[in-house]
Amino acid sequence: MNKISKKVVVLLAVFSATISMKANANGEISEHVNNLSAHLTEYAEEVTWLSDKFSGVVNEYSKKGKADSDQLIEFWEEVDFHSAIETQYVPVYATIWQGIYGVKVAIDSGEKAAVVEAELLKLKQALWQGLGAVKLAAQYQQKGLVPKVMTTEQEPTTGPEVIDDIKKKLHRVVAKYAEKLTEVATTLVHDTYLQRFEGIEGALIELDAELVEDLEKDFNVTLPQAISKDTSVDNVRAVVETMQVKLDKARSLLVKAEESRKSVF
Amino acid sequence: MQRRAFIRGLAATGIIGSGFGLSGFARIANAANSISVDQLPKLTGELTLYLGRGEGGLYENVLQAIQDRNPGFKLNIRRGATAALANTLIAEAKAGVKRADLFWAVDTGSIGVVTDAGLAKPLPQDLIQQLSPGFQYPLWSPVTGRIRTLPYNTDRLTAAEIPDSILALADSDVKIGWAPAYASFQSFVTAMRLLEGDKVTKDWLKAINGKAKKYAGELGVVMGVERGEVDIGFANHYYTLRLKAGKPDASVSLAYTNNDAGCLVNASGIVALSDGELPVNFIRYLLTKEVQSYLASEAYEIPLVSDVASPPGLQDLSTLNPPELDLRKLADLRPTINMMRSIGLL
Repeated sequence: MNKISKKVVVLLAVFSATISMKANANGEISEHVNNLSAHLTEYAEEVTWLSDKFSGVVNEYSKKGKADSDQLIEFWEEVDFHSAIETQYVPVYATIWQGIYGVKVAIDSGEKAAVVEAELLKLKQALWQGLGAVKLAAQYQQKGLVPKVMTTEQEPTTGPEVIDDIKKKLHRVVAKYAEKLTEVATTLVHDTYLQRFEGIEGALIELDAELVEDLEKDFNVTLPQAISKDTSVDNVRAVVETMQVKLDKARSLLVKAEESRKSVF
Repeated sequence: MQRRAFIRGLAATGIIGSGFGLSGFARIANAANSISVDQLPKLTGELTLYLGRGEGGLYENVLQAIQDRNPGFKLNIRRGATAALANTLIAEAKAGVKRADLFWAVDTGSIGVVTDAGLAKPLPQDLIQQLSPGFQYPLWSPVTGRIRTLPYNTDRLTAAEIPDSILALADSDVKIGWAPAYASFQSFVTAMRLLEGDKVTKDWLKAINGKAKKYAGELGVVMGVERGEVDIGFANHYYTLRLKAGKPDASVSLAYTNNDAGCLVNASGIVALSDGELPVNFIRYLLTKEVQSYLASEAYEIPLVSDVASPPGLQDLSTLNPPELDLRKLADLRPTINMMRSIGLL
């Protein structure tokens, strides 16, 4: 089991909140994401197809010194595998986008063929890792361990649910940044703070005020700056991963606090 | 004169539509005793509540407790940002669609939007009288309150050294912490604009900006005060109270200004959108001694019925003197944001 798959196991094992997905920049997420097992063959074919298509673009570049790099994105947006990985494991979804742009930027910058091919290799690795993650998610889905993907908005209600939702939204921040949608990523950070974190920070202050202050700074300064400085997907991901650790701690604190909270009546 | 009512500020609002010019906090002590949940009728039937985000988990606990207590009652909840839900209600009404029976909003501005649109159903007198006299309105019921404060470092300042005017702070030597990007702060600046005018507010912001330390959020302000990075800050009351709850020896306490935006008040409130007893009786549950006590002790919100204790650490409410202000106008932040941007604050 590779590193990514291990991460998926951990993720699915603690996956408690309902997945809620709305229409996104890539179109509606259709019902196949709730029946992954029936579509695994199709996803595998799509990954092979993508791999071939991406190779085709790079081969053309290697031969002619130029290629239509926009095709990379068009190919990626054509496949159902896109929404399968997007709904099941956003971190790899972000890595795929990072890989696509790695190849695209290398082509657009006129890099040597070897550089472009190295980026292609990373992209292909991300694609196959993504397929592995979807296969694993399919197994968990069959066992009823993965919540149904909702195609309409559903709000978390308890503190731990809110934390889970924040973590997912932060993964999407990395994904949107990897898609070069900087404004979307920044807005998502802002909305996640206002619409989610502010609702739980009151309870957290009593439990660990410094942790709340730290996360406030992450939401309002560190992460937006990492995005606006346009450094790299890895840098943005590093900030998010640091936040995820803090959010895990916050979640544990909220769970404990709720257990001892007095009843209303 | 220090004993004007806290909620007088709400008196000027067109939302209220009834006498609000007398005392609020000052008269709580004279109001009738609050009602226990044991005195209420069972809820039977189904309601749809539009719930604005606030102290999410704790409000949810209240709603779940009400449902648990009433097995024959089903509550459908639509959650969202308060302002967005208010706009949805208006849009639904214009379209001739009616989905919500109740609207629980975290700020008064959104309540004003709904009541101004004629969507609110009048509340019965006996429910209104469950609230203290200063909090009685015909078309909506306050649920809990919050107040702007000046958290200060108790090792560096005494309460007597702190100006009771928000404008005077611009001329003082104290080190100030603030969070200009924070929504609550922007509402406060909006209130100052409405009360003092744009020029005074802009000059004040410039003066404070020249000496203040900036924080990402208002908890950060309170923490900065507690650590002694700054002497004093601007924040809603509950940050300090919750910090003190988790860290009783924290070197921070609360001061209050007098009759200006520095002690601005706001309230959460609920509106009945459907006729009949069920929505009204649901509201009665929120005003019970048990729910008000729960929100005061767990969320540090200010109870608005009689004989329910305020959150520990809050000054005797009868001594506070908030400004008169139409809180509905706080809903439009755009002129404030533009002003703050024009001087480089955002």
